[in-house]
Amino acid sequence: MRILLIEDEKRLAENVATAIRDGAGFAVDVAEDGEIGLDLASFGHYDLVVLDLMLPRVDGGTVLKTLRGRGDRTPVLILTARQDTSSVIAMLNLGADDYLGKPFDLGELLARVKALVRRGKGVATPLLHVRNLAINTLEQSVLRDGVPIELSPTEYRIFEYLLHKPKLVVSKRELLEHLYDYNWERHSNVIEAHVSNLRKKLDAGDGGPYIQTLRGRGYKLQPDEELP
Amino acid sequence: MKPYSITRRVVALVLTVELIAAIGVTAFALGYERHAHFRSFDISLRGRADTIMGAVEDADTPKYGVMLDTTDLEMPRRDIYAVREEGGRELGKSSNWSPTDADWKGDAGFYTATIHGRNYRGIRVRGVRVVDPMAANVRHPLMVLYASPTYEVWEAVFGAVRVFALANGLLILLTGLLVPILVRRSMNPLRELAVAAGGVTVGSWKFAPGEDVRQVAELRPLVEAMEGVIGRLELSFTQQRQFVGDAAHELKTAVAVVKSSIQLLELRARTTQEYAEGLARCSADCLRVEELTQKMLLMARVEERDVAAPTERTDLAKGINDAVQELASVAALHRVGLNLEGAVSVTVRMSADLLRSLLINLLTNAVQHSKAESAVRLGVTLSGGGVVMVIDDTGEGIEAAALPFVFDRFYRGDPSRSRETGGTGLGLAICKAIVERAGGNIGIESVVGTGTRVIVRLPVIF
Repeated sequence: MRILLIEDEKRLAENVATAIRDGAGFAVDVAEDGEIGLDLASFGHYDLVVLDLMLPRVDGGTVLKTLRGRGDRTPVLILTARQDTSSVIAMLNLGADDYLGKPFDLGELLARVKALVRRGKGVATPLLHVRNLAINTLEQSVLRDGVPIELSPTEYRIFEYLLHKPKLVVSKRELLEHLYDYNWERHSNVIEAHVSNLRKKLDAGDGGPYIQTLRGRGYKLQPDEELP
Repeated sequence: MKPYSITRRVVALVLTVELIAAIGVTAFALGYERHAHFRSFDISLRGRADTIMGAVEDADTPKYGVMLDTTDLEMPRRDIYAVREEGGRELGKSSNWSPTDADWKGDAGFYTATIHGRNYRGIRVRGVRVVDPMAANVRHPLMVLYASPTYEVWEAVFGAVRVFALANGLLILLTGLLVPILVRRSMNPLRELAVAAGGVTVGSWKFAPGEDVRQVAELRPLVEAMEGVIGRLELSFTQQRQFVGDAAHELKTAVAVVKSSIQLLELRARTTQEYAEGLARCSADCLRVEELTQKMLLMARVEERDVAAPTERTDLAKGINDAVQELASVAALHRVGLNLEGAVSVTVRMSADLLRSLLINLLTNAVQHSKAESAVRLGVTLSGGGVVMVIDDTGEGIEAAALPFVFDRFYRGDPSRSRETGGTGLGLAICKAIVERAGGNIGIESVVGTGTRVIVRLPVIF
């Protein structure tokens, strides 16, 4: 998952970005003003936009209006110091999905970020099931018949992303974009290595592989049990 | 001053004027009627006296010569008359009266007398009666007394005046009834204005008195003045609200930073070094809250009173020297020189701590935006009864589009710039408030890439 954080207050942006990276395991890009924010959002590979309202150059309301005007349906969480009802209503009517008043609780922010990402993928609960695997997206844990499977953070993030797009082909490029923020070096063989490790840990010979590799196209999660 | 009602005053005034006019008109009517009536009265007196004179005829007995023949005389009942020949012989008189010697003595003409307890006006007429002109041609010099009671004339005069007085009384009564109603009605726009003004609250600044209020010449200046006052109040309130809103935003953001820094540390177990680093960041964030609070309080203090108290006076040269010394270490840290040119020893209307705040703010800005190994220049010159301070830096400059707003509270020109220096967005606003409080003005000029110049003009106390 990859989050775009548009916040001009440098220290707050640092803290929120670190919290989302550490606490939710999502990649975070930070934009310092509305203009940069809109530029970054136009790539369209974000799973959530966290938007401050008082921004230099282009204010948050305009950013939101422009995003929705472009037909961008990425969930938007508003961070605002203005919590009067009319402003909240205006933001929700402009197409915001949720809002949080400053100063906010970091834990609450993380919970809302995760919930919005989940809902953006059409999943309502933090607990997911695939065949005999149970995934808790809050604890970031994976259990096979009650026995935990140890996954590295990157492996878990790849798995979770695929879980949110079952049966769809996800390219290596898409995985890269959604799992790493722009501060990271991008090498598609990093993904290959992680996917290979992940597959080894998940597959226990009790049916077809969980993750199919489609050569030259990408990866696909196979939620149904299929005989090879 | 006692409270009073304009309506009551106007009514009282109108009635008083009308009463005076009524008394005047009545007095004039009295005089005029009296004059007119007595004129005709006198004419009729003279006429009647002539009639009496005409009634003097040959007496039956030649011894007496002439006598008054009263047979055809039909005079009013209360009139009195008498005729006598010059020399004393009485020729005749009315039956209701006997003249005394005093009556006969006197010049010809009109006179007044009291007869039978009544006021009479009479006339003495001297004449010559020529009896039997053909035969004897005897001339008889005569004197006729004729008098009528005056009360009838007075009755006629008072009758006429009474009509006048009555008409005036009615007029006053009518005025007394109508004027209050009319005055009250003409005061309606004033009441409307009061309602319109009463409707103005902090929540709703709409002040729109009806067009009929605006059409009243006496009320228009008041309406315009009120519109002006309400407009200025609204502007001031809006600015205050804007300031409070912005201040709340800044404080909430600053608190959000501190809170998130602490909660970030709590997110999971950390190593001792991570905690130490996190605490250092928290401490820095707290310092920013502190700085923001101090600046806000300073701003509030500067704006507490618009005009500096006359007791606030400080020597400018000393203030500049102190500020330059205070900033020397900061300047050295940035490797920026501080050049002071032309220190002038003058007194400005400003307390020492505000002058310090002003100079520290301006010089710190200049130092922070200067390139390393450059210099900030502070030039002081006397000009036209005031002192001009010019602060030049060789920094990156400010975009022309942002220049008009740099003195606005919480305005942060270039976002990246303000974040780098951790500005509160209040520094220049505080400077402007301090300078204006001392009766001066502040301006800024900037060329992107070349540098910025701040010009402060302050009046000098001699």
